Amino acid sequence: METRMERRERDLPQPVRKPGEDEGPAKRDVKKPGGNDELLKRLRKVDPDRAKKYRQRSGE
Amino acid sequence: MKRLFGIETEYGLSMPDGNPRTQVNDSRRLVAACTVPHALGWDYSNEDPRADIRGFRATHLSQDPVDAAFDEGARPGGADERADRILVNGARFYNDHGHPEYATPECSRLLDLVAHDRAGERIALAAAKAVGATLYKNNSDYSGASYGTHENYLVPREMSYERMAAGLLPLLISRQLFVGAGKVGSEAGRPVEFQLSQRADFMTEVAGVDTLYRRPIFNTRDEPHADAARWIRLHVICGDANRSEWATAMKVGMVSVALDLIEIDEAPVWRFADPVRAFSDLSKDHEFCWKIALGRDSWTTGPDVLESYLAAAGKHLAGKDAETDWVLSEWNDALIDLRTDPTRLADRADWAAKRALLATYAEDVGKWETDAMRAAELEYHDIDPATSLFDVLVDMGRMRRLVEEARIGDCMATAPNTRAKHRGQVVAEQADRIEAIGWRRVVVGGKAVEFEVEGTQ
Repeated sequence: METRMERRERDLPQPVRKPGEDEGPAKRDVKKPGGNDELLKRLRKVDPDRAKKYRQRSGE
Repeated sequence: MKRLFGIETEYGLSMPDGNPRTQVNDSRRLVAACTVPHALGWDYSNEDPRADIRGFRATHLSQDPVDAAFDEGARPGGADERADRILVNGARFYNDHGHPEYATPECSRLLDLVAHDRAGERIALAAAKAVGATLYKNNSDYSGASYGTHENYLVPREMSYERMAAGLLPLLISRQLFVGAGKVGSEAGRPVEFQLSQRADFMTEVAGVDTLYRRPIFNTRDEPHADAARWIRLHVICGDANRSEWATAMKVGMVSVALDLIEIDEAPVWRFADPVRAFSDLSKDHEFCWKIALGRDSWTTGPDVLESYLAAAGKHLAGKDAETDWVLSEWNDALIDLRTDPTRLADRADWAAKRALLATYAEDVGKWETDAMRAAELEYHDIDPATSLFDVLVDMGRMRRLVEEARIGDCMATAPNTRAKHRGQVVAEQADRIEAIGWRRVVVGGKAVEFEVEGTQ
């Protein structure tokens, strides 16, 4: 599995970044995950009945 | 990318004391509260949702029987059922079957599309606040009702249905591994704790013109909104509503790449034994093997299918333009992460971000398929940054961003540099004089002017 991925990396060309308007989206630095306790506190504040009361018409 | 594309988002709508019977009028009221400069008078003269690119016209479109029962034979909303608003940024904001729908203006750059999709969230949110509503950018109510997030791609008419379907179906089925929005539980078929796709439970046909019921993976509606002799508007209805900007960009970027490959007859060839089942199986495979049956004794995997498109694109499309190179680079990185450890996608793929978020809560709640878990998931899709769990992840730096807030703000009032620019300009300068306006043309003072597809990108 790993071998295949290494081969794929070599097969692909390096992305060509052009200056100005033609530039593609840039990668952004993302902070390392953390704060699970903070997240859990936030999740516990969700109204547990919110989805039960949520009924919709079908759309397209 | 050298192609026009756009996204239509039908938002889930929650009003105090609202219900499916009041939803159409609630949605109309919300749209009417739009705060962005706009014009009225949507031009329906070029619309024909029954026209099929396979060369015929359907005698009727299927309707959801549950919704039909809500209406009890009456048509809710009356003459102005859709409450169409044509916005100064070239977008359309209207009521579609009880869902406020934001259709982005036509874009030709991925970042423009991402920014306009997010501008749509802001515009819809402002209208929602004006009427005390909550909007969800998702595709299901957990009780069997689904509503769509559609992509549109302008392709040359000479690209036949057979070529498009053969070249795109494997990708439309497999791309959920990157761009599925994730969902707690199942609303059809085999029960699961969590699945990759919001829409997989509702895809019951391989191809067809229907969108409200008996939904197909490949939608064959032939409504080009341009010169029908030259263009087809590929209408993709099997995708999810994405909160992640990366997923929005990749969802459209991957299909655009596949269309480029089809145009030069270099798309990979796959024949799935049962495409509908493959769509569901990929979505529900909690072991992440993602097997797809090809025949009685042969199979492939979703990652292998994605890799085949990437290999073909790397060979034939690399260097075409910067956005194509970006898509291929991200595709490669995401494929490596998917094969190595799918949880690594949690900083960009909605399904992986949501799964990681909810896994924390599942230990607390005790099991996945509970009202509390579905409620937490629903809050991920809330488009109000003050209450959305997606925005909590963004604020914590856990989700990648592609566009700045200032750019999103600009897109609320400015059209992209496509034919949408001319539509937006007419709305800005002559809104009161517009007699009819649509994707394709405007009528002012009895004179119709076409918005040309080419020459504005």
